[in-house]
Amino acid sequence: MSGAQIQTYSALHDVELAAHASAGDRRAFGELVRRHSSGVRGLLRRMGASPAAADDVAQDAFLAAFESVTDYRGEGTFAGWVKRIAARLYLRRLQREKRLAHLAQEAEAEFIPPTDPDAAGRIDLDEAMKGLGEAERICVSMCYGAGLSHAEAADALNLPLGTVKSHVKRGLEKLRARLAPGSGAETEGRRVNG
Amino acid sequence: MADEFERRLERLFGEAPFFADAEVFALGVETRLDRGWNIRSVLIGAAGLMGGVLGVSQLLMSNFFHRVGEASEGSARALEVGVAKITPQVELMSMVSGDWGVISLAGVTAIFAMAFVLSRVIEEI
Repeated sequence: MSGAQIQTYSALHDVELAAHASAGDRRAFGELVRRHSSGVRGLLRRMGASPAAADDVAQDAFLAAFESVTDYRGEGTFAGWVKRIAARLYLRRLQREKRLAHLAQEAEAEFIPPTDPDAAGRIDLDEAMKGLGEAERICVSMCYGAGLSHAEAADALNLPLGTVKSHVKRGLEKLRARLAPGSGAETEGRRVNG
Repeated sequence: MADEFERRLERLFGEAPFFADAEVFALGVETRLDRGWNIRSVLIGAAGLMGGVLGVSQLLMSNFFHRVGEASEGSARALEVGVAKITPQVELMSMVSGDWGVISLAGVTAIFAMAFVLSRVIEEI
């Protein structure tokens, strides 16, 4: 691939790259992967996936996205579209591992306050998410990270709508407490992963 | 309706974390894409080749070339004997009509094989 071609791809909008990809241009899709893989991997980790599992699911999500890229018509962001694919794939994986069944019954997770919010000078979203129970983490991530409505999340999780709403509500309350300006968690810097 | 905190949360989720191995990850996806594409190309090519072989073998098995040869000989003979006595068209048809089913099947298979090969060539171009 020539340098000029790389430069061309980097100058294109996501929708244009997706159009190239839908014509079978794998290099154009590679540019989309470069742009959005971190967001997808980050979301999966925030949903509770281990780094290795998050990377596996993210790869599968991008491959699935390439297969159905003709379905993406530029309504909404490409990142959001891939994140929804990834979130659903991760749920399917949890289902296979029979880790979803208990979400409906999951008791309210104990709220663990930040040990020393000012120690590192900040607590970011990733840290705050660790204080949530699994069901809360998944529901909050799906609704605020992957952009699903409560009803869509309930459908994807195969849970009653009310259950999803209460998981989201509890999760939000915990995050609100952890990320509140006075909690020493105001800084929203990016974490380094890898 | 989303309050200020919920909007802030969406923004936080929207911020992609930094991954030191982002390029490696992207290359991994590209490699898997290429591998999938190559496997697909090989499978389609193999299917095209098999179709071609099948088509040709059907043609040979149906004795097509021999029948064509016979037909041309017959028509030549017919021309020699005289157009007035014989209608070459009828002669030709009767020579090859014995196994039309096999011949047409072979023809269709050959067309499919050609279509496969053509689609691969166009795609590669």
